[in-house]
Amino acid sequence: MDTVRIAVIGAGVIGLSTAVCISELVPQCSVTIIADKFTPDTTSDVAAGILIPHVYPDTPIYTQKRWFRDTFDHLSSIASSTEAADAGVYLLSGWQIFRSIPAEQVPFWADVVLGFRKMTEAELKIFPQYVFGHAFTTLKCETSVYLPWLEKRLKTHGGLLLHRRVDDVWELQPSFDIVVNCSGLGSQELVGDSAVFPMRGQILQVQAPWVKHFIRDGSGLTYIYPGASYVTLGGTRQKGDWNLSPDAEISQDIFSRCCTLEPSLRRACSIKERVGLRPDRSSMLLQKEFLARDGRRLCVVHNYGHGSGGISVHWGCALEAARLVSECVQALRTPALTSKL
Amino acid sequence: MRVVVIGAGVIGLSTALCIYERYHSVLQPLDLKVYADRFTPLTNTDVAAGLWQPYLSGPSNPQEMEWNQQTFDYLLSHIHSPNAENMGLALISGYNLFCEAVPDPFWKNIVLGFRKLTSRELDVFPDYSYGWFHTSLIIEGRSYLKWLTERLTERGVKFFQRKVESLEEVARGGVDVIINCTGVWAGALQPDPLLQPGRGQIIKVNAPWIKHFILTHDPKSGIYTSPYIIPGMQAVTLGGICQLGNWSEINSGQDHNTIWKGCCRLEPTLKNARIAGEFTGFRPIRPQLRLEREQLRVGSANTEVIHNYGHGGYGLTIHWGCALEAAKLFGKILEEKELSRMPPSHL
Repeated sequence: MDTVRIAVIGAGVIGLSTAVCISELVPQCSVTIIADKFTPDTTSDVAAGILIPHVYPDTPIYTQKRWFRDTFDHLSSIASSTEAADAGVYLLSGWQIFRSIPAEQVPFWADVVLGFRKMTEAELKIFPQYVFGHAFTTLKCETSVYLPWLEKRLKTHGGLLLHRRVDDVWELQPSFDIVVNCSGLGSQELVGDSAVFPMRGQILQVQAPWVKHFIRDGSGLTYIYPGASYVTLGGTRQKGDWNLSPDAEISQDIFSRCCTLEPSLRRACSIKERVGLRPDRSSMLLQKEFLARDGRRLCVVHNYGHGSGGISVHWGCALEAARLVSECVQALRTPALTSKL
Repeated sequence: MRVVVIGAGVIGLSTALCIYERYHSVLQPLDLKVYADRFTPLTNTDVAAGLWQPYLSGPSNPQEMEWNQQTFDYLLSHIHSPNAENMGLALISGYNLFCEAVPDPFWKNIVLGFRKLTSRELDVFPDYSYGWFHTSLIIEGRSYLKWLTERLTERGVKFFQRKVESLEEVARGGVDVIINCTGVWAGALQPDPLLQPGRGQIIKVNAPWIKHFILTHDPKSGIYTSPYIIPGMQAVTLGGICQLGNWSEINSGQDHNTIWKGCCRLEPTLKNARIAGEFTGFRPIRPQLRLEREQLRVGSANTEVIHNYGHGGYGLTIHWGCALEAAKLFGKILEEKELSRMPPSHL
């Protein structure tokens, strides 16, 4: 049996995790990642990496829950192992708070995270402008550590990393048999998908090691996520904004909103501004397609458009993408189907 | 009114501050001094991790329950003040782990969000089968003592480094009230067979990914003898040593290994942690803390003494309630002195 040659476009959390899953699950294959940006320059690197799902309006809830659970379980076992600090994965507890009682008091992912419960009156007193909240323990996946760890894991399985911009998936034919498109926002140009667009997010990275809990406003606009090397303060959601340069006024506003939630942050120092363009889409595209052109054929598996929720569902989506790749491999190796094409 | 506080750990300094705040306007002048042979960073308070948590079993003196509550409430009220970081104060959540089911602690409604651990949470700690989760406070000894020292200095309280050999020596210096906050060394001033050192050794490591405290308990071996991991403002404290009667101030290699092995088993990622320091301290263990008045007869005069020592491993946890009580006792002394100065009424 010939080795199936698989190219994965994109080296963010989606590309890397998908490549690792494929290399671990699909027998007799070679995996090459091709991307114009690698860590620490990907969109994933800007994300705080907290596991709280984003809700995709056009994907069934049971599917979103399955991907979140797969990701949570996978990261949980890393968090309890000696590898945790090498992978940048660890437990984090905190609160999600609301200024008015939300319509959905218990979110679909409540039984996936640990120890989920409603906040007590005494706890809510810590946040004077808030009337309702959730307390739970989840995971933080520090992308600046996790991505290099995934790269290392891929290399131990013989995977290759190639620094190159791909303008057309057909460039990869005939060198590769299957192309896995994890190009995030790049899919707008790469495959002409206008449904994916940037949702600009600006954040601050500050030194405040005394902050041990995450605090998130239920709207998702203001949040404080403590990490191993800095605390992420956020944020913004600016639809269709491609500007990668930080805006000073926005930084002031973020800092002020976060200090309202956690006044001790006023003493935080060493503030860095970062911008990331979330690859937003009403539902991510996770499916395979067979392309044909001038007698050539190419199997493409898409895995992009995860918006704000990429890290929260990455492993579940990577497993599904690997399954789709296996189906493509089957199709390629089945003589009957080959002759039909 | 001349007042001397002996001892510059958390008990001495917080008692001094409490008394000053309450009475400096009433007593003009109030001459308040602190005598100690050790100041921060060399006190036992400096070695403490600073996690607010009383012992698991109820105190033999029910007043201690109230003093614990007062301290928690006082600290919690400062959590959003601009002083919080300088005080070494922060909210922290975490785990108490057991090998078998135990009754809930008496302080479960003092802390925030107290609950039992779910089975999925217990999967994270394979050696344990039962536990609690709650949100408490860290009050880091070193920062807090620095903060208290600054507040006292601002108020004109003077500090003197001296080794006090006896209460009489201080009384003979013309002091009206002595506040004895000498902690584990109180026995040197006045024999106290109930007081003994609970030697502790801790390792400080850099492991900033650890955000929860993890305390384990072994009912057979006694409090603080089972591994614990307590993150602080900058470093993480690893411990699990409590040796009654051991006065050795030297870090022990054997204790180091016990702590390291126990904590790495509990939290495997510690293998990546860099060791930042190792320290020994003595918890002033006593069946209940001593907080009471005593009159000392020196020559022809009576000197008032307020004893405030023997807080075991929960000094930071209970300090403010005790300071308030000591201030109350001080208030009683003032009342009595005024009464004794009043001319007798003619019948």
